[in-house]
Amino acid sequence: MVGMNWPTSELDTVARLRVLAAGVRGAHITEQVIDAPFDDVWAMLADLEGDFGEIVTDMQGVTVLGRDGDRVTLRARSRFGMRARIEGTQRPGWCWLQSRFLLIGIAAAPLGAQTLVAFTGGVRIPGRAALVPVGVRREGRHSLARLAQRVDAGH
Amino acid sequence: MSDERTARLVRAAQNGDTLAMNDLLDELCPYVERICAPIALQQGEDAAQEALTAIFRGLRSLKEPAAIYGWARTVAAREAVRIARRGARSEPADLSELPARGDPQLATDVHDVLTRLTPEHRAVLVLRDLEGMDEQTAAAQLGIQAGTVKSRLHRAREKFRKAWSA
Repeated sequence: MVGMNWPTSELDTVARLRVLAAGVRGAHITEQVIDAPFDDVWAMLADLEGDFGEIVTDMQGVTVLGRDGDRVTLRARSRFGMRARIEGTQRPGWCWLQSRFLLIGIAAAPLGAQTLVAFTGGVRIPGRAALVPVGVRREGRHSLARLAQRVDAGH
Repeated sequence: MSDERTARLVRAAQNGDTLAMNDLLDELCPYVERICAPIALQQGEDAAQEALTAIFRGLRSLKEPAAIYGWARTVAAREAVRIARRGARSEPADLSELPARGDPQLATDVHDVLTRLTPEHRAVLVLRDLEGMDEQTAAAQLGIQAGTVKSRLHRAREKFRKAWSA
């Protein structure tokens, strides 16, 4: 029966981000439609050592230390100047990064000629799947606003 | 992926490692989608998202990491039935209306067969034919009443087959 043509469905990356954030206490998802095609938007978000740090200001001075398939290891500085080693998964439309103290999740999915982008992240509570519930919503809004501005400016 | 590695991922995720949660989502997502789609049909994506959300919210309460698939399966089937039933009238499932395992019509046009069944029936069918459970166990797992005797089941299957071959 497994060979039969059963109906199928597939969650897009934004839906996956909603799911994962549901498992992290305090993780709030901010979503915004960006008025640009997916390829343009994702090229910006995937540029970890460039545009990414201008959009997600929680991570600055990002250096990619290594890649293995969709696994990525980075070194970055937080807004407060602390250096951190960050590990995560990056693939088209998906970026999930974790350091000991930081969590950043970004998903993007095509929406016609536009792109739906979802963001979550913040300061981790060590040893738990939870974020410090301060500034999470604000950071999401600001990151997406910076992304929209950069896309508009054609960076 | 080996059961041992899955259990390790569950443990790490329960201990707050969000990268392990990411890996676990990669692993569970296709499995949950495969169960939700034939039950919730056009609402399959909503059902899969709701089911996975419930799974990741409840992950810490799972006592035995090796039981993750069994638990995910039950949550997925129940959520898919709930989503498909949303706004619809609920009635007890009569398993006699299910097509038999190996029914030729199932193989010919499973989608058409599914649309003619209630969400509860679709759930039992999926758990039986995709997951290899027997009908009574599947019904019990879903928490639905399945008051059916074998002769009645047989009669209804004959009726189902005749209707399709007519």
